[in-house]
Amino acid sequence: MSARAAAELRAELTDVVARSAFLLDEHRFGEWVDLTAADFRYRIQAYSPDIRREMTWLDHDRAGMVALIELLPKHHVDGADLLRQVSVGHVLSESPTEASSVSSLSIFYTARDIGDAHVDGGSSRLFLVGRYHDRFRREGEHWRLSERTVRLQTRQLGVGSHLFP
Amino acid sequence: MTIQPSREWRQRLGSSALPFVDSRIYTERDIFEDELRQIWQKSWLLVAHESELSEPLDFRTTTIAREPVAVVRGEDGVVRAFLNVCPHRGALLLREPAGNLRQSNPSGSPKRITCMFHAWQFDSKGQCLSIPRRNAGYQDRLQCTDVSLNELHCEVGYGGFVWVHLDANPVPLHEAMGGAFGALGPHLEAEPLEVFHHHKAIVRTNYKLWHETNSEFYHDYMHHFNRVTSMQQAGYHDRRYEAFPGGHATVSSMEVKYTAYEHDRVNLAEERDLSFPLLERNGWKLLDLFPGITLNLRGSALRVDTATPLSEDRVLIEFRGLGLKRDSAAERERRVRDHNTIWGPFGRNLPEDLLGVTNQTLGMRPGSEGLHVLQARREDSRIHDEVGLRHYYAEWSRRLGRSASDPYTEKARSLSAVGEELATPRAGAAE
Repeated sequence: MSARAAAELRAELTDVVARSAFLLDEHRFGEWVDLTAADFRYRIQAYSPDIRREMTWLDHDRAGMVALIELLPKHHVDGADLLRQVSVGHVLSESPTEASSVSSLSIFYTARDIGDAHVDGGSSRLFLVGRYHDRFRREGEHWRLSERTVRLQTRQLGVGSHLFP
Repeated sequence: MTIQPSREWRQRLGSSALPFVDSRIYTERDIFEDELRQIWQKSWLLVAHESELSEPLDFRTTTIAREPVAVVRGEDGVVRAFLNVCPHRGALLLREPAGNLRQSNPSGSPKRITCMFHAWQFDSKGQCLSIPRRNAGYQDRLQCTDVSLNELHCEVGYGGFVWVHLDANPVPLHEAMGGAFGALGPHLEAEPLEVFHHHKAIVRTNYKLWHETNSEFYHDYMHHFNRVTSMQQAGYHDRRYEAFPGGHATVSSMEVKYTAYEHDRVNLAEERDLSFPLLERNGWKLLDLFPGITLNLRGSALRVDTATPLSEDRVLIEFRGLGLKRDSAAERERRVRDHNTIWGPFGRNLPEDLLGVTNQTLGMRPGSEGLHVLQARREDSRIHDEVGLRHYYAEWSRRLGRSASDPYTEKARSLSAVGEELATPRAGAAE
């Protein structure tokens, strides 16, 4: 792959990753789902030094993610705002239609309706750090996410979240 | 002008016979310190599962009532517990949450517990093996045989869990269990279990409020998942609490209708049919152990909660998920998915429970006049009966010598008095 093609690939994949983060931040879930391929798979994984095992905390296909999103209004969701800071690092072209990337991820949490909103509302803190391990497939003019594995370093999430990183 | 709480808060809600506890048991530092001394230092506590210590020289570290504790499987296969503190100068010995002693550390040799500070070394039985330059420094005044780790009472059992007691003279574990394990025993002791999940959360709440969420089901109204899969299904309101000596309680089973949750209908091509030995398909049993342990067996997964109180308004909760040791890879994947769909940190239920108890803590502020917190539902010990709470606080009151309903002015009462109260509650007092 030429340097120019590599740069173009990086720019295109970076745009997909950045858009995916922005759309989740904005709760524009339908548009986020549109970034994914029909056989999309999403996982959240972490290693536990306590039990010395790999753990999978969430594992869904595309339909599962859609169902999870659609059910959010029926759950008591922590209404904090999450801001995803993503830095795309490694990009790899595997074929003209397949590629992958690894990105550093940090998510900041801004209190809204959890806790004492009068005192804490508007304050921000770091919620989690980890990495996106993404795979992409070229579909026509667009790269779509075919797989996302979120590898978390953070294992203490406090109350946790109905939303996903 | 001093603003007083409303009459309804300061006096009792409804009839004077409605049991309640005083909210100061959740908010006051002196009560919390009493709890550490009178309850947490004097209870058998679940600290790990044997599958976390499967190999000789495996270790696991934890904290009980602020004391650092290490659990080590010896080369002889025996699991022992020690204060994780060097008897030389008080430094923490094992610093990782888990590991194996075969791995040496920069200060010492493999197979030994070595203090990083001055390299004193101990074997897996807690015996001192080496004191560097002992003769030069201590001459004949100190031998290795004079020194050992402080060994704690430790037992493995009741589903292969590791239980530790800080007190030098504890009641036997089987006596402390008070027969409460009987309902879960057939399912958890038929074959070896294995832990597959662990996460923890430090939550801004009192540890008892967390245990209460596991001891009353009336709050199922908060959970969409529980409402549709259980509360709206046959058998839910027939589930029964049974109280056992020591403040423990169990809840009987029902068949959970997982397919009633829309998410499950989408995600699971097949019905959930994975279970535990002798447990009916999609059965759900629960065991609450005083003072802060819950074993929640539902469908294909066992969830175990253990609380470590940090202060009157902060608790560390560890969540474990377990399946069967013999699980195939496919079976284990299903158990993990079933467990984490509901109980993982991104699951559907757990964040709601944690939000609920956080909100309670925000509502009950330290230093305020005690609110009367109701524990008064009576439904013939069925699922929304709050007998589990009342039974817990009878034991709490007995251990602390304080009434949970009147923790500051009522004199300490005898065990028999509390027992009488449990049978025939005084006007307004929690049983």
